[in-house]
Amino acid sequence: MTRLYLSNDTSSHAAGAHRLAEALSARPEVQLVRTSARGAFFLEPIVERDALGGRMAWFNVAPDALPAIIAGQGGTPIQEIPFLARQSRHTFANFGITEPLALDEYQLRGGLKGLEAAVGMTPEAIIQELNVSRLRGRGGAAFPVWNKWEVARQTESAEKFVVANADEGDAGTYCDRMLMEGDPFRLIEGMLICARAIGATSGYIYCRQEYPAAARALEYAIHKAKEAELLEVDGEDFELTIVRGAGSYVCGEETALLESIEGRRGVVRSKPPYPAVAGLYAKPTIVSNVLTFATIPEILARGGAWHASMGTERSRGTVVLQIGGRVKQSGLVEIPFGLTLREALDRFGGGIASGARFKAVQVGGPLGSLFPESKLDIPICYDAFAEAGAILGHGGIVVYDQETDMIDLARHFMAFTADESCGKCTPCRIGSVRGREILERIQAGEGSAEALDLLKDLGETMKATSLCALGGRAPYPVLTAIEHFREEFQRRFTH
Amino acid sequence: MEPSVAHRVEQVLERVSAQAGTRVSILDLLEKVEAAIGYVPLESIPRLAQSLGVSEAQVAGVLSYYPDLHTQPTGRHVVRVCLGEACLANHGNRVLQAMCKHLQADVGETTSDGRCTVETVYCVGNCGVSPSVVIDEDLYGRVTPDRLPALLERYK
Ligand SMILES: Cc1cc2nc3c(=O)[nH]c(=O)nc-3n(C[C@H](O)[C@H](O)[C@H](O)COP(=O)(O)O)c2cc1C
Ligand code: FES
Repeated sequence: MTRLYLSNDTSSHAAGAHRLAEALSARPEVQLVRTSARGAFFLEPIVERDALGGRMAWFNVAPDALPAIIAGQGGTPIQEIPFLARQSRHTFANFGITEPLALDEYQLRGGLKGLEAAVGMTPEAIIQELNVSRLRGRGGAAFPVWNKWEVARQTESAEKFVVANADEGDAGTYCDRMLMEGDPFRLIEGMLICARAIGATSGYIYCRQEYPAAARALEYAIHKAKEAELLEVDGEDFELTIVRGAGSYVCGEETALLESIEGRRGVVRSKPPYPAVAGLYAKPTIVSNVLTFATIPEILARGGAWHASMGTERSRGTVVLQIGGRVKQSGLVEIPFGLTLREALDRFGGGIASGARFKAVQVGGPLGSLFPESKLDIPICYDAFAEAGAILGHGGIVVYDQETDMIDLARHFMAFTADESCGKCTPCRIGSVRGREILERIQAGEGSAEALDLLKDLGETMKATSLCALGGRAPYPVLTAIEHFREEFQRRFTH
Repeated sequence: MEPSVAHRVEQVLERVSAQAGTRVSILDLLEKVEAAIGYVPLESIPRLAQSLGVSEAQVAGVLSYYPDLHTQPTGRHVVRVCLGEACLANHGNRVLQAMCKHLQADVGETTSDGRCTVETVYCVGNCGVSPSVVIDEDLYGRVTPDRLPALLERYK
């Protein structure tokens, strides 16, 4: 009997893993184990088998290569792949190794140790540990996690909620999807620790419509956790429910998300009150990103000081990047904060796709800034990005090549905001439509230097006066495109 | 509303009311109707509002807000081309153009034989193997314009 490992991740499927699984199902001498993905998507589909000191791997496997793999011919030791060997996998330590829905495997590899530790601690002590860890939220705003928890803990209420933000709206990002599909018990464990710290009675996972496999995996993992009597907080049942989104980007904003869970239009609420004081059904609620929750179990298991020992002065721990677009090596990268953008692109992205030339890179999704070649020496951490007026967002890094039309890209961003604006505040609702129109006129050859000035004014107004970061950040990709590629815009002017 | 459609709406309502004790929101119910019928008929709004004890305007408001809720029947298959930035960077817009040309339908339109509705989507989390195309429940990666005819062959 030969045991082979093949990822069951959505993107491994899309790369052809399902065809391999089909071919292997006809071979009784093969035992196929479906794992999570390594995150090295440029190599998918990957087939692995046990070997001395680790696993051997075969890359970009087509069905006709299977006989050689079964015969054990060729292959590369997995630990020799630089893309993986250069990473510091903590939150993603199990990826490519375990079966996502096997609770016993999760435990064998250290799972539930954080929860065990938390059960033996007072809520105050749990929050103190997070304070020591200096963990900041991974959903975009980078707010200190312990601080929110402390507010929710101190707010008196018979009912409190824990909500995982699994809307993962930023294009170019998929680490939440991978966590939900590939290590769902880690998310559940993080939510349970939070529930204990703030005294929550139930929880929700708001999972976007585009992630059907993630929702299925979570459904099953919740069922298993319940069977194993894990879904309890202080001896009381802790109900965990999955809510599905319906294609709205702004529903990733925490207050719009709460409106959506309550079943209404996902319109942003004015803050304060913050959700930690009055959130879901006006009760104290912690809304945190999936990756944030998944980072917490190991902090409780190993201590806050361990987490604080990684990273830069004000960005502690690891950053999860998803490098994509026109690079040679697309995939998920977990490393301590602090490497420069250039180093990350060289070391992991492997340089620009063959035949293409680098034009710009965007970091932080549709609200993130564009960087030209000359600006790549910026360290990847919250503060350096904030100083540059940029964001890390959810860690999405998209490389554009020389064929990218910057005016069309800028128009795409304004059109996106116009489509996705919740409509509550005027700068975002109207400003984005005006911005799109101006860019369409430039595209039609009716632009002028005044049009660019107008865009700049409009952008500054949106930044200063929008209710949430959708309108407030939407101008950034557009204005950085103009800043770094002004000539390209000017070439389209007729007067 | 055609009697057969009205009947299917009633079936959804029956199933929902059988799940006693759970909070059913407007969005929940609309998603269930969409999943069962493939769209939410505008004519069903009064009935849905009545069953939830909310106003018709509230139901209509939620229905118009969420892009994934349709108010018209779609083709037998829904083809969605990703225009998220990772796919755009890998020239996903060329895939969209080729798709529209191949199917002879624009974004938002259904082919004249009712086979496919063409839509765009903003990132399906498949950026690692982009550009992405979703046909019904099936996700495809590294899609190039020349792969489209073979890919669509499976969807009649
Ligand atoms: C327009 C907009 C979209 C957002 N989308 C997401 C999202 O998809 N996922 C997410 O975790 N946070 C998103 N956020 C940030 C949330 O509002 C919130 O800050 C976050 O969920 C808090 O979690 P954290 O403390 O773990 O970062 C978005 C914010 C805005 C303004
Ligand atoms: S941008 Fe297309 S799948 Fe993410």
